[in-house]
Amino acid sequence: MLGRGLKRKLSDYEENMAGLSSAFDSSRSLPYPLRRQLVLNMCLTKLQTYKMLVEPNLHRSVLIANTVRQIQEEMRYETSQQPVNVCNGIAPNPHSYPGIDSSGISSHMPSGSNHPPTCLVPTGDEPELKGAECVFGSFEISNSTSYLKDLAIDDIFEDIDTSMYDSDFCSLMAARPPAAATEETLKTFPSCNSSSANNIQICRTDLSELDHIMEILVGS
Amino acid sequence: RCVLPPLSKCRWSDIISTVEFNHTGELLATGDKGGRVVIFQREPESKNEPYSQGEYNVYSTFQSHEPEFDYLKSLEIEEKINKIKWLPQQNAAHSLLSTNDKTIKLWKITERDKRPEGYNLKDEEGKLKDLSTVTSLQVPVLKPMDLMVEVTPRRIFANGHTYHVNSISVNSDCETYMSADDLRINLWHLAITDRSFNIVDIKPANMEDLTEVITASEFHPHHCNLFVYSSSKGSLRLCDMRASALCDKHSKLFEEPEDPSNRSFFSEIISSVSDVKFSHSGRYMLTRDYLTVKVWDLNMETKPIETYQVHDYLRSKLCSLYENDCIFDKFECAWNGSDSVIMTGAYNNFFRMFDRNTKRDVTLEASRESSKPRAILKPRRVCVGGKRRKDDINVDSLDFTKKILHTAWHPTENIIAIAATNNLYIFQDKVNSEMH
Repeated sequence: MLGRGLKRKLSDYEENMAGLSSAFDSSRSLPYPLRRQLVLNMCLTKLQTYKMLVEPNLHRSVLIANTVRQIQEEMRYETSQQPVNVCNGIAPNPHSYPGIDSSGISSHMPSGSNHPPTCLVPTGDEPELKGAECVFGSFEISNSTSYLKDLAIDDIFEDIDTSMYDSDFCSLMAARPPAAATEETLKTFPSCNSSSANNIQICRTDLSELDHIMEILVGS
Repeated sequence: RCVLPPLSKCRWSDIISTVEFNHTGELLATGDKGGRVVIFQREPESKNEPYSQGEYNVYSTFQSHEPEFDYLKSLEIEEKINKIKWLPQQNAAHSLLSTNDKTIKLWKITERDKRPEGYNLKDEEGKLKDLSTVTSLQVPVLKPMDLMVEVTPRRIFANGHTYHVNSISVNSDCETYMSADDLRINLWHLAITDRSFNIVDIKPANMEDLTEVITASEFHPHHCNLFVYSSSKGSLRLCDMRASALCDKHSKLFEEPEDPSNRSFFSEIISSVSDVKFSHSGRYMLTRDYLTVKVWDLNMETKPIETYQVHDYLRSKLCSLYENDCIFDKFECAWNGSDSVIMTGAYNNFFRMFDRNTKRDVTLEASRESSKPRAILKPRRVCVGGKRRKDDINVDSLDFTKKILHTAWHPTENIIAIAATNNLYIFQDKVNSEMH
């Protein structure tokens, strides 16, 4: 019987911890807008990964897309309420994150010169949900090899504020011990987490895909 | 040189994907990701060994589905068995339906313990005899032989689904069954494979408007016109097939308003219903979402009559569980024979039972260590934060790769079957009618 005289080994314990630990575990201490942005980033990454699959899981994709919609709705509401203050509200303050190398952030921060910040600005009547909705368009023709053609990766981010992406990924990496930083960052992408159940198909494409996403997110 | 994989790393194809007792509980079927169905049979009672009753041994194993390739859509179709449903037994043979993502198959399981011997024109091997050696007329006789279990495919219901089949359910009329995928539910006649009737279709004209999918579906146990389906938005729709041929308009909508205090980014995801089961009485429905199990009364649509927390300590971990995709795990739920206890799975090879009368609940573990034959399961406890009693397990050390998604309860007795990745555990009450 487990439990009687059987202690869980430290290594097991750590292994299990790793299974669930992430930058987002500590996200409760982050300010709400930043947390929201983290979730939004995750959603978009997941949607992007699913689209690589020949036949993505419709149930998951719908749930994730609805989460994106909900967050975007919320952001749109806020921007319509206070269009001026949003930038300040969301702009990450390096001093508020313990353990973050502020120099690492500032190098990526949109600091004015060659990185004009694309802050949350009300986009009028533009269909902001395009990113999320396109996903299901692909189900219609998921059999065709060209199903990605009308959904370039940029489309997904087109209508979404990307100014936060730089700092998010910085904070993700900086919030961890430097040695584990690379691995851990990979874990942020579900496709790279080999313990995930349904990623057998994903793994083939994930690395180049990851590079691509990183390029876009980091803005290089 | 042969290198054995470590015990903990089981083969992908061996992972059990469904468990189902037949209507008498004498047989138990499991399906796995490799497309195989294994049937266990309960040993008959023996007077010498009182314990031997209730032991389930392998009765038959067969390959139900093979990996396929849809050339038209350039799609690989997994062989994984999504669901198994037994048909009520009508003669000596047993029948079951098994389905993968697309194709449902009807299998017949028969026993043979005698074989005819002494044919006039054929020898023992079945070859034709030289006619010149046939000098007398003999009557073939049936001779006893070792029991042989034969499994034969009787029907293949293909091409009925564009999306992934998540449920099948045999109707109480014993003539029809339904199959549900993400967007549609089809009604089939068990004897007819080339046509089915679409009874629910929630596919919007434009897929961009899609915000909801069907997650599970089941026929009412007694009223052959009623069925229920659950959705990814946490609602249940009860439909009456007498109302119209296409049940797009539900008869009853069971939905609970969201608790504003628990609102988070993941509210909708965790409210998605992963399983729905009618009680044996037909009066109640049991649903499972990510954190809770709920009992609904068919006569009350506004809220469930009972809500049980399965692992509420995960509420603060939702972000991580979303990140590693665990939040999408589809836990199933089960009623006991008298509808008084419900059971559902959790992480770390834990499963939970809730007694509806006493309101007591228990967490048990399905593991090799705790499951020595005839050992009594010890309740487990998950603690949150610093307070930790002896034998408690901290929420941070739960193993999220060990999940119990599929469980089944014997239709009349306190015997349960628990699928923990590639292991099947069968637990039985030591004393009848007392829960352990």
